[in-house]
Amino acid sequence: MYIIGENIHILSDAVKAGLRDRDAGFFQKLAVSQVEAGAQALDLNLGPRKKDGEEVFPWMVKAVQEVVDVPLSLDSTNLRGIEAGLKEITKAQPIINSTSAEEERLEAVPLLAKKYNAKLVALTMGKSGIPVSADERVNIAIEKLIPRMLEIDYPVSDLIIDPLVLTVSGCQEYAPELIEAVRTLQVVWDPPPAISVGLSNVSNAVPNEGRPLINRVYCAMLMGVGMNMMIADPLDEKQNELVRIIEERDDSTAVGKLYLAISDSIAAMEEPSIDDVDMDDPEQAEIWKTVQILLNKVIYAESYLQQ
Amino acid sequence: MPIEIPVDKWPGTVNTVTLGATAADGGTRSKVVTIGGERSLPFMHFENETPHPPVIALEMTAARPGDWSQVLLDAWGDVVDDPARWAGACEEAGADLILLMFGLNDADGNPVTPDFAVGTVKAVLQATGLPLVVLGPGQAEVDNEILVPVADATKGERLVLGLCEDANYRTIVASAMANGHLVLGRTPMDVNLAKQLNILMTDMGLPLDRIVMDPTTGALGYGIEYGYSVMERLRLAALQGDAMTQLPMLVNPGYEAWRTKESKVGEGVPDTWGDWAARGTHWETLTAVSLIEAGADVVVLRHPDSVTRVREAIDELMTLETA
Repeated sequence: MYIIGENIHILSDAVKAGLRDRDAGFFQKLAVSQVEAGAQALDLNLGPRKKDGEEVFPWMVKAVQEVVDVPLSLDSTNLRGIEAGLKEITKAQPIINSTSAEEERLEAVPLLAKKYNAKLVALTMGKSGIPVSADERVNIAIEKLIPRMLEIDYPVSDLIIDPLVLTVSGCQEYAPELIEAVRTLQVVWDPPPAISVGLSNVSNAVPNEGRPLINRVYCAMLMGVGMNMMIADPLDEKQNELVRIIEERDDSTAVGKLYLAISDSIAAMEEPSIDDVDMDDPEQAEIWKTVQILLNKVIYAESYLQQ
Repeated sequence: MPIEIPVDKWPGTVNTVTLGATAADGGTRSKVVTIGGERSLPFMHFENETPHPPVIALEMTAARPGDWSQVLLDAWGDVVDDPARWAGACEEAGADLILLMFGLNDADGNPVTPDFAVGTVKAVLQATGLPLVVLGPGQAEVDNEILVPVADATKGERLVLGLCEDANYRTIVASAMANGHLVLGRTPMDVNLAKQLNILMTDMGLPLDRIVMDPTTGALGYGIEYGYSVMERLRLAALQGDAMTQLPMLVNPGYEAWRTKESKVGEGVPDTWGDWAARGTHWETLTAVSLIEAGADVVVLRHPDSVTRVREAIDELMTLETA
């Protein structure tokens, strides 16, 4: 699993404070801890930074590059800020996060990626928003995103398509469709673009104590359809353990065995079976209930585990 | 060419809920109303029979309503100043049950008290044999202050008490459980929140067959499609077997329709809008019938003429040919 570490994110209060104080040491620590935990790239989400993007991005890139060698993903809607940051890249091939299929973005962002030899995250989202169905999202990739890359002679192998994970709390019908979009996107082009998802978005608006389980179960399901890149928290040890279980096919524990069974069913386009679950084991019962909400079989509610 | 109608087989059933109790069951109602029990989407008679047709409630208030359309006040006349007479008029207009709504004040403009609430509910129960829904003004403190004594004073009647909402349900649920009543839960047009409230209420030990849910909706032209979708989604989940969504649904097309401009305003509108009173009842009737198609088990109306018209629609839907 290629994890793009998500922890340098403007929505975090600590990150906000660190930015305000231009506290390079804070970001260097956050970068090192993520890489040590296994992150193979780092996302730098600094928000729009309309006023000072052209100053903040270079500053951040320089600070983080002093301590880590991994690719940096410049995550903003401020293109000038991103370009200023790209100019300071001296180590690995950077990533621009992101373009969408909206005309203006798709016109400008790929050109920037080409100019600076950056990889490019492209969202399957057009001007009318994020479609529910897997097919429509795949169509955006085939009809809009990839053709634009070909048009400007940008290598599709440097393209990273993000089919957009939405929260199970309010956008539940999107959850199973996203799984199918990930499955299909791997076969739409030769060579195939990389596919990356923002895993923890699936539990946005879910109370904090409920989020890790939902993230883990969704991760197992997505790994079943071949997901091998995600923007995620590399410090989440239980999530790392889940990834290891699936990758190494470790069925030495009952829970591991269940996760593998779920992942394999999704891989085979079958519904996971309750026969694989020991409902007397509370941990397995919770995993099963979570599968049900992620497949949109049972309506999500904050207390869905109590049902 | 013969057309084969696809038939769905659903594993789930909507709960059957009985509102009101006769003397034989510890109440004083002359008739009770049973709702729910659906095993198919509305009026798919070729799949399963509809065990209980949708029912019509008429809404009345404990004190003369300050914000009702003049059309409604004209239709009801002076009974709006006397809850007992108003209840009788609702029964005469053909309602299956009555929804009695308390505001923050009594008829004299003073804050409602437990005595006023109990007195009003008792007077209404005496004036009509129909089952009764009793709702507080929707402010937690006032609701609890008046609904608890009402529940105590009417033990065994199987009233529907509300509103139970996310922030205030414990007292009302406990009080209903202790006195053999039912409750109404309301959530703001959201399937996740609707289900969550049902989990919380049943978690207190209240049996599912004593809860009715109000998923909230909008009037025709004012968001009815959102309400419709939420109701449809809840009903599909219920039929698929999700126990925490298998509750009969009560909605308020009367309240929603009569606060639209089209119903509320009689002057300064284009002539092509036609007769004010007719327009208002059209709006209410169309809103109600649409929500019945979405799966409503109880529609709460305000205008007596709408009762007749919605009843005709229900009768027609219940006897659809299913060749």
